[in-house]
Amino acid sequence: MKRYWRIFREFFRTCLVEEMEYRSEFIGNLFSSVFGIGIALLTIQIFFYQTDQLGGWSYADVLVLLGIFNTLQGFIHFALRPNMARITQHIRKGTLDYILTKPVDSMFYVSFRHLVFWRLIDVFLGIGLIVYGLMEKNYVPTSGDVLVFIISLIASLLLIYSLWMMLMTTAFWVIRIEDLSFAFDSFFETTRFPISMYRGGLRVVLTYILPAAFITSAPAAALLGKWNMITTLTSLLVAGIFLWLSRKFWKFALRFYTSASS
Amino acid sequence: MSIVVDHLNKQFKVHVRQAGWLDAFRSIFKREYQIVEAVNNLSFTIQSGEIVGFLGPNGAGKTTAMKMLAGLLHPTSGAITVEGFIPQEQKAEYKKMMSLVMGQKSQLIWDIPPMETFLVNKAIYEIDDNSFNKTLDELVALLELEPLLNKPTRSLSLGQRMKCELAAALLHRPKVLFLDEPTIGLDVDTQEKVRRFIANYNREHKTTILLTSHYMGDVTALCKRVIIINHGKLLYDGDLDVLTEKLTPYKLLEVHLPTLPNQSWETYGEVDSIEEGKVTLRIPRERIREVSARLLQEFPVHDLNIQDPPMEEVITLAFQEKSHG
Repeated sequence: MKRYWRIFREFFRTCLVEEMEYRSEFIGNLFSSVFGIGIALLTIQIFFYQTDQLGGWSYADVLVLLGIFNTLQGFIHFALRPNMARITQHIRKGTLDYILTKPVDSMFYVSFRHLVFWRLIDVFLGIGLIVYGLMEKNYVPTSGDVLVFIISLIASLLLIYSLWMMLMTTAFWVIRIEDLSFAFDSFFETTRFPISMYRGGLRVVLTYILPAAFITSAPAAALLGKWNMITTLTSLLVAGIFLWLSRKFWKFALRFYTSASS
Repeated sequence: MSIVVDHLNKQFKVHVRQAGWLDAFRSIFKREYQIVEAVNNLSFTIQSGEIVGFLGPNGAGKTTAMKMLAGLLHPTSGAITVEGFIPQEQKAEYKKMMSLVMGQKSQLIWDIPPMETFLVNKAIYEIDDNSFNKTLDELVALLELEPLLNKPTRSLSLGQRMKCELAAALLHRPKVLFLDEPTIGLDVDTQEKVRRFIANYNREHKTTILLTSHYMGDVTALCKRVIIINHGKLLYDGDLDVLTEKLTPYKLLEVHLPTLPNQSWETYGEVDSIEEGKVTLRIPRERIREVSARLLQEFPVHDLNIQDPPMEEVITLAFQEKSHG
């Protein structure tokens, strides 16, 4: 564990050095993040001109939800996206060769080697939005709320990671699919709104097959004091199961690695 | 024994299709596969500290075999042990004592100086500060890396990058080193430097090295022994010199003369080339002494050189050998 922490720190450092090579991007990215969150807020405002409830969630509730969406998106773009998008490349171009010859867990390496720091802006903006939503609702979360919120947020991150990892692992067989990440993005976009907003078959799929329901709705509900321990622990359990599955799948897939020729 | 390869096989299932629209469309629904035997019943052993050249034409299965040795690919059947480890088990202990360098693929981080990659490897291989500094100093001196360490990798030349690749691969002092085309694309001077480095390193540290290369210079300079494969099958395993003798029963006799007499050289031997002031003849090995003596007697010879035919020629002959039979 300590060893992996040290390797992670090393990744962190090299990525920081890498990004310093392209400092000027920072300002542009800050601008685009602020712009992105502005547009999202505007969309919600438009919804709420027509109605004062969205799938049972009030305006302030949806703000909190959107804040969580943004926070998660920040984390995803900070650590997950830069790595997941590269997995297909590693497999297609054979650079996985070097990773596999290193005495380090290959799944750990491909998952955390690349970090994009400026994306943490989204995390801070997201937290800001959560606070704003809570103020709007005049609700101060209890310490229990916050604890459950943190647990369910961790569960969400694990779940997102596992689902994406499994999706990318299929690249061992369908090498030519250039950007499987897009498939994931579309899925993640569905969590921008409360799960109860979706109807019929789509809702069933998003709840039970691809557990989008947990991802943003559960942490948001927790922070608003609408949680129960069973649901929280279930989401943590589900996340754990998915993590285990993704790991098994990765190990299994490695046996099919054919390594691009030199 | 450092490396033991025993009846190794590797098959690939390859999707075959013809060019053209119709077939592209058809292959969506029905795919035809062909089994390719990349490595076929290959056996050999390598002693600790030996450098062995692993040769074969493109697509002969060299890289596939090497990747199995490095543990990247699982053999279809057969067994490999390297220093007592089974590579495809991918044990961390195994990975810590071997290294793979591929001339065509880079492990250096593109946008930042090579030193950063070295530090990442330090953490991954759990190298303590002392040995890291010692090894790095040695490699920096041997490979003349000093001015390169703090320049972004992307601004290095191919040769400079290759030297850094070697350093990155050797920081953890591997006992076994797999070099896949380490000199590809390098200029003659840099090739020479890389070769000298590999030879020195092998002598100093008794590292077992398996090397593939398309440059015969690499092979003749580094390897006493070669393993030649084609179509995944073993063609030859043994001394390079013996191979030369076995396959080319003649030597090249280079005769330097002040002026070339206008006459037929065929009475002495087969003419390989005639240039200003120089004739090169192919003479069967057993007739070399006799022909040289005659030439020295009959002409005002400036200089006389006896050489083995170029390695390229020998290898080409070796590749053809078994494909007939």
